[in-house]
Amino acid sequence: MSKTDIAIIGGGINGASTALELAKNGLKVTLLDKHSICKGASGVNAGTLTMHMTRAQLIPYAKKGWELWMSTNKWLSKDIDVEKRNGLCLAFTEDEEKLLNERSKIRKEYGADIEIISKKEALRIDPNINKNIKCAAFCAMDGYVSANQTGYAYSKALKEHKVKILNNFEVTEIEFSENNYTILSKTGEKLISKKLILATGVHLNKALELLNIKVNIKCLPQQLIVSERMPKVMDTVITVANGKLSLKQFKNGTVLIGGGWPGIGSAEENFTATKSENLIGNMRLACHAIPKLKRSRVARVWLGLEAETDDAMPIIGELPDFNNAYIIGSIHSGYTSGPYMGKLLAKKILGEDVDLSLFDIKRFL
Amino acid sequence: MNYKIKYDVIVIGAGPSGVSAAINCAQKGLQVLIVDISHNTGGQIYRAPPKSYKHISEKKLQENKTQEYLSREIKKNNIFTAYNHTVWQVSPGFKVDAFNDISTIQWHAKNIIVATGTYEKIIPFDGWTNPGIIGLAACTVMLKSHHFIPSQKIILAGNGPLLLLVAYYIIEFGGEVEAIIDTSSKFDWIKSTVSLISNPKNFKDGIKWLTKILFNKVPIYSNSMIAKATQHNEYIKVKIQNINTGKQESLVTGTLAVGHGLIPSTDITRLLGAKHIYNESKGGWIAEIDDYLRSSLDGLYVTGDGAGISGAIAAKDKGLIASLALLYDEKIIKEKEFKIKTKKIFKRLYKYELFAKAIAKLNSTPPQLLNNIKDETILCRCEDITKKDILEAIDNGAKDLNQLKSWTRFGMGPCQGRTCQYSVAKVVAEELKCNVEDIGYLTGRSPIRPVPLDRAIGEFDYNEITKIEAAPL
Ligand SMILES: Cc1cc2nc3c(=O)[nH]c(=O)nc-3n(C[C@H](O)[C@H](O)[C@H](O)COP(=O)(O)OP(=O)(O)OC[C@H]3O[C@@H](n4cnc5c(N)ncnc54)[C@H](O)[C@@H]3O)c2cc1C
Repeated sequence: MSKTDIAIIGGGINGASTALELAKNGLKVTLLDKHSICKGASGVNAGTLTMHMTRAQLIPYAKKGWELWMSTNKWLSKDIDVEKRNGLCLAFTEDEEKLLNERSKIRKEYGADIEIISKKEALRIDPNINKNIKCAAFCAMDGYVSANQTGYAYSKALKEHKVKILNNFEVTEIEFSENNYTILSKTGEKLISKKLILATGVHLNKALELLNIKVNIKCLPQQLIVSERMPKVMDTVITVANGKLSLKQFKNGTVLIGGGWPGIGSAEENFTATKSENLIGNMRLACHAIPKLKRSRVARVWLGLEAETDDAMPIIGELPDFNNAYIIGSIHSGYTSGPYMGKLLAKKILGEDVDLSLFDIKRFL
Repeated sequence: MNYKIKYDVIVIGAGPSGVSAAINCAQKGLQVLIVDISHNTGGQIYRAPPKSYKHISEKKLQENKTQEYLSREIKKNNIFTAYNHTVWQVSPGFKVDAFNDISTIQWHAKNIIVATGTYEKIIPFDGWTNPGIIGLAACTVMLKSHHFIPSQKIILAGNGPLLLLVAYYIIEFGGEVEAIIDTSSKFDWIKSTVSLISNPKNFKDGIKWLTKILFNKVPIYSNSMIAKATQHNEYIKVKIQNINTGKQESLVTGTLAVGHGLIPSTDITRLLGAKHIYNESKGGWIAEIDDYLRSSLDGLYVTGDGAGISGAIAAKDKGLIASLALLYDEKIIKEKEFKIKTKKIFKRLYKYELFAKAIAKLNSTPPQLLNNIKDETILCRCEDITKKDILEAIDNGAKDLNQLKSWTRFGMGPCQGRTCQYSVAKVVAEELKCNVEDIGYLTGRSPIRPVPLDRAIGEFDYNEITKIEAAPL
């Protein structure tokens, strides 16, 4: 039986970032995952780091997250494919133009440096976009990170900071006394910890159930489409007014098409499948935005499961009625802000004065 | 042809197994659609020559004749056909997406019979990705359906009966086989003769091939493998190594064709989330099936070599078994008919299985072949991932194939790991000192083959794009 200061259940971006920050501050951390690190949403997401799709209230956090991603060479790894790009959010119809104006204005109020620009200006910034747009919203704070590589980087960094990683440790039971949590795995392993963090992504509700807390977490199965490598067809990260497209070309030439078009999937059964009409819809929208894309071939489609609370806002902070138990997850555009949110929770645990009231779980209890 | 939207059965793959299954279902009154990438029936073994090849009609091979017979049978039984269609996705409830030269199309089916055969296995060695090096099975396609030899002089390497078949046809078409490099020993071949005789037709073919090879005095290097190949302007330099003694020798040739056996295609069953098991002698990962070729999912049947390698003649019978199971499950035939018919076929199949086992032995991968993979050898040729890249990721904690895929990008290129999964898995299992089945298989992903975006989206107006709910602000 092993012992640790703090046990983090779930090795996604939220669990891993919190773990890294705590370990850097000298805590003895154990990170558990039922599969392995960053194989859930955090290993398969689109990696778009954009303000144009971020929920208004989360803009300040996303901005901090964006800055952390842009400086991963300082705190995580030199080998991550992260890039700053200009972000263009397009409107193709008059209705969309209106929507874009409204949404950009509100995001701006929350601190995003977004401005509405003319069609001409947009085409100057990225000549590859559809010439028939009405207007666009511009934000210089945009870009991407290749999500498939971050698990690798985190796992190296965590090892370096002496975080113990236990893969294939599916937590099925948590016993608690006043000053200890005994965490049991499906296969009978046991870990005793003084502190506990739940970071189980789309399974956040399941983990809470182990502590007899009931919170509704929806599971959103989302599809992503990636092209074969192709010559450069775009310079910017492209989104659209209603938030249902994210598009960018990686350094290796592949183009990733996303935007949260639902597929079929269940967190419970760990099963996903594509929904054809939504794939085609997403591809059409992408090719409408960047017509040159039509020349490419789709290399792969995959799905990931995203967690969403009833008000689509995160849950981060202390669990009421427990000692030293915390939770983090269900963060909209959570990959962008993940590294910062993890840092915030770590600071809170380390006793710093951090305001997490916006994300308090109590609103659901 | 006018397609229907919904079929009782869609058979994917028009090789001998798919064709026999389709006919059996159609004869019992089911609405059947058979789909294939190729422009006609035949599959890999009887692959039809391109329609524009006029000269081939004059000099037909036995394979070309068998193919024509299959096509006539399909026509006679009023089976819907979708040749020139590449299935790129199959989703639950059985929606099948396919594309042709112009667009993509979707069909629905109550049942699916997967008869997608195999693809070839090449164990990497230094230089295997050079342009002058091709697959042994790819070479059979050039020969059988194009009547074409890749170069005047050629070296064949690998193992199993394909070596003999390819050598035979190359000589037949006027080419020169400079050497056959076989990982098996002469003794291995003699040992398997007893079992090989159990399939007299194929055995006879084998003798015919061998006679021609011996008559032409083709040098045969038994117990040998390619240690390394280097490409020069006009030729390829091939370093041959005896796998027992380590003795090396260099030869020079125009083309090197290499193949180490076949791998069952599991793209569709993996995509649908059916259960899979590992069976080395059947080719590696295969869908878990019962005796009657039912997969773990209702309405999904797997037949032919895709259900475990047993060859073309057995494939036809397996097609019958799978279709009988389907007909019985659909309550179209009674238990009695089902039992009597399948029993008879199982008797024949038993003999073919003996034959298949002997072939599997000849095609087994000697450890020396895997040991020959150097740190710098490319394993995944789509993404240029070397053995060293894989070992480094393992060193940093990757424990299964999907994790390795995500960390290194192996298997992320256009072939989706079809070419490299087998050897990467072997390398990983060796490094982690575990069995191949412990590290899993690559999750099935759509599209099964790369889909041209313009065909997927078709012609459309902006306001016709599916509407979905806006993201929350
Ligand atoms: C397809 C897709 C595209 C996306 N695109 C973007 C984007 O472009 N930009 C952006 O900012 N965000 C994006 N997101 C959102 C982002 O991916 C998520 O918000 C974020 O990754 C969630 O991280 P997490 O750590 O909370 O969860 P996860 O990454 O899912 O991690 C949870 C971990 O917990 C483990 N676990 C669960 N239960 C147990 C248990 N009982 N015991 C042990 N371990 C357990 C799981 O195995 C998993 O590894 C996307 C999401 C998806 C699905």
